[in-house]
Amino acid sequence: MAGTPRPARRAVLVGGLGGFSAAAIAACAPSAPEEPAQQGGAAAAGTETLTIATTTDVVNFNPTVGNSRSDQWVTGLMYPRLLTIASDGSKEAELAAKWGYVDPTTGYYEIRDDFTWSDGKPLTAADVAWTLNAVKKDAPSGTFYGQLANFVQATAVSDTRVEFTMATPDSSLVDEIGFWGCVVPQHVFEPAGSIADFANDGSGGGWVSAGPYVLTKVQAGQSYTLDRVAKYPLVEGGVPVAAKVVYRVFPDVNTEILALRSGEADVIANALPPAQVQPLTATDGLAVEKATGLGYAHMVYNMDNADLAKAPVRQALAHAADYEAIRKVALSGQAVSTGSSPLMPVLAKYHDPSITEYPFDPGASRTLLQQAGYTADADGMFGLTFRLIYSLQDSVTSQWAQMVKDSSAKAGIAIQLQGSERNTYLAQTNDGDYDIYAGNFAIMDDPVLNFSLSYLPGGAINYTHVDDAALNDLIGQGAATTDLDEKVGIFREAAKMVHEQVYDNIMYTQDLFFAHSDEWSGFISRPSELLSIVNPVSVASATKSAG
Amino acid sequence: MSIASFALRRLGRGVLTVWFAVTVTFLLLRLLPGDPALAVSSPTQTEATRALLLTQYGLDKPLAEQYLLYLGQLLRGNLGTSFTQSVPVLDVLAARIPWTILLTVGALVLTVVIGIPLGVLAASRRGGFLDKAVQVFGVTGQSLFVPSIGVLLLFVVGLKLRWAPIGGAYSDGTYGGQWYLSVLHHLVLPGLSLTLVQLGSYVLTLRATLVDALADDYVVLARANGLSERRILWKHALRNALLPATTLIGLQLGFLVGGAVLTETVFAYPGVGRGIYEAVTQLDFPVLQGAFLMLALTVVVANTLTDLVYGWLDPRVKAS
Repeated sequence: MAGTPRPARRAVLVGGLGGFSAAAIAACAPSAPEEPAQQGGAAAAGTETLTIATTTDVVNFNPTVGNSRSDQWVTGLMYPRLLTIASDGSKEAELAAKWGYVDPTTGYYEIRDDFTWSDGKPLTAADVAWTLNAVKKDAPSGTFYGQLANFVQATAVSDTRVEFTMATPDSSLVDEIGFWGCVVPQHVFEPAGSIADFANDGSGGGWVSAGPYVLTKVQAGQSYTLDRVAKYPLVEGGVPVAAKVVYRVFPDVNTEILALRSGEADVIANALPPAQVQPLTATDGLAVEKATGLGYAHMVYNMDNADLAKAPVRQALAHAADYEAIRKVALSGQAVSTGSSPLMPVLAKYHDPSITEYPFDPGASRTLLQQAGYTADADGMFGLTFRLIYSLQDSVTSQWAQMVKDSSAKAGIAIQLQGSERNTYLAQTNDGDYDIYAGNFAIMDDPVLNFSLSYLPGGAINYTHVDDAALNDLIGQGAATTDLDEKVGIFREAAKMVHEQVYDNIMYTQDLFFAHSDEWSGFISRPSELLSIVNPVSVASATKSAG
Repeated sequence: MSIASFALRRLGRGVLTVWFAVTVTFLLLRLLPGDPALAVSSPTQTEATRALLLTQYGLDKPLAEQYLLYLGQLLRGNLGTSFTQSVPVLDVLAARIPWTILLTVGALVLTVVIGIPLGVLAASRRGGFLDKAVQVFGVTGQSLFVPSIGVLLLFVVGLKLRWAPIGGAYSDGTYGGQWYLSVLHHLVLPGLSLTLVQLGSYVLTLRATLVDALADDYVVLARANGLSERRILWKHALRNALLPATTLIGLQLGFLVGGAVLTETVFAYPGVGRGIYEAVTQLDFPVLQGAFLMLALTVVVANTLTDLVYGWLDPRVKAS
């Protein structure tokens, strides 16, 4: 009978759909390994797998391109940094054993001689010099290139010593390149052409690592598996403890926490949302560790606005925010005051305790505005309305932006909130399309660099659009000297100026908390979310308790 | 009209639809605030570096030139290279598409398999307790939101009962038959969530059309001829009631792929929906263009198939 949907036809349709799905999935099926994965040889080496949860995929396996946290965490296990950051914000040795200045425009690193690439080739100063020169030449989009503005050229003067020249004297460059840079294998990256275009996706025969682990398998969107290398000199015993490290992607933080609680993940790499710290601390089987924050949250007043160009107006705004309440409510108390200074307490050598936080005092704000010639109307408002932008992806800032709006109204200043998705927010920031900018920086570890970028005219993050000759002069002096005591004095002076003039309103440094299964111990916590308990030495030292 | 010319007309309409989708996607992406260089580079990068990146991405050329280059590229079967991952877009999508197909087709099949009996049950017991229960279930299902139902299922079934894994598409270290079992095990919760959110509308549509069909003259005639209720219901009334429900399934395929973005995010499922979300945040134009082209093709193919199946089910459609 024509047109009748016979059972056989239906079966063909359903079978076709099913077959299509099965064929598509079969293409993803992994092959069983032909032989067991290679294990390290030291007695301390274990057989366990450490599973680390993250919320984002690895975007790019080339460490000079990848900017996301997951990129940095995964590639950080393969490509060593020259320097790392200690708990007081100062730089510590990692691949480099010594570092410093030959003269005001020449820096050097003396690197260890016991690092090798996982394919057996030694890691030498030639790799370091090639990496620096290639990044400078090809300008990859990662953070690394941003540090090289004043860098000219590097030369390997021996197998363990690299020297590089600078365009002008720069007392922060050796430290900043040492931390933000990494070293890649010249023999793998150079044949690929431009370092900016090289995907380093393992398609040319796998990855080559000089870190504690080497990437062996990628399931896009799901997991990244790294195997232990035979030798990693920075860990006790010379061999990483866990046999494998698997980074698993859980884009939703609630799912990520459920995975930790269920045992599917052993560690959460990203900092916990403030509201989750207390519940997870109280959860059996879990441990929560603290890492010092190295960044800050701040509000910046755009001096291109005629009213905000006046110091009393900025000072009035600074007195119109209740910082203590913000830290208590939006961050559950997990933040510390910086004294409204860009030299945060974590930068112990630089922090100046004599600079104190702007007190929340709407009355003082009103007085300042009246003295500046503003008059309040019958409702107590001064006729000042400012548009404050923030990113909707930043839940903490979204929360305190509302608090700032409410408290500013008490001082007679109207704030219009404009939360936007990230790309709109970035575009507005880049175009200076705001009166008040609210946001945060994850790592502000070096005063020379931070002050140069934040307060010099043309600085990439000079969101205030400030150009103060006296401040410019101080920053220039601070950048030129390599005498630490002199530098500290100069930047304290500069910080005082920033504080008094409210060129920046630093609100807090967030304390960071990281959760892991209590079956694992031995983590070595370092400041910032980038390093925290998932820095290479920490991951390589983590041990699973017996039983 | 022959089936060949019917199919040819549908195909021509499909090609036009895909071209329109490709063009609109191309233009819309370039209207988004911000630019890809700003989205991927560090905030400390200078304007000169950002300009260099835009040149590398080919975004410094006039819009018309970019469009013509893109169309030429597409005609050669080249979807371009991801801005952020530096690998061909085809590779990016190929690694993720199978999982989305499995999830959406699985949910679609499950919807039909559960939906038809439920719709029949409700319509055949019109006004009774079971009918009311199915209607309540249908309305509730329509108001479900994937993240809510997803987190609830994960908490109860994944964490408390430990019956299903929390995330991913399969367990590491499984091979052969064990791997396929692992894939099915990981599919249970995301598949169930996606099915639950679309089942309601399917069941309610089927019920309503079946209730109408059961009141038609041919059903009265069939009863008078002594056909069993079971035969009337499953062989005659259901066939007519399936027509709008089949249309709905075709339309829902597009919705399913959209719903997969949320499902894949909550269940950490490595499909293309999540890839799209990530590409949006990074303004990775080539990946987005490739993904939307793929989605447009999916919807066009689904609708064409629906039209063909519709004609197959009801010869009057073919004839018109």
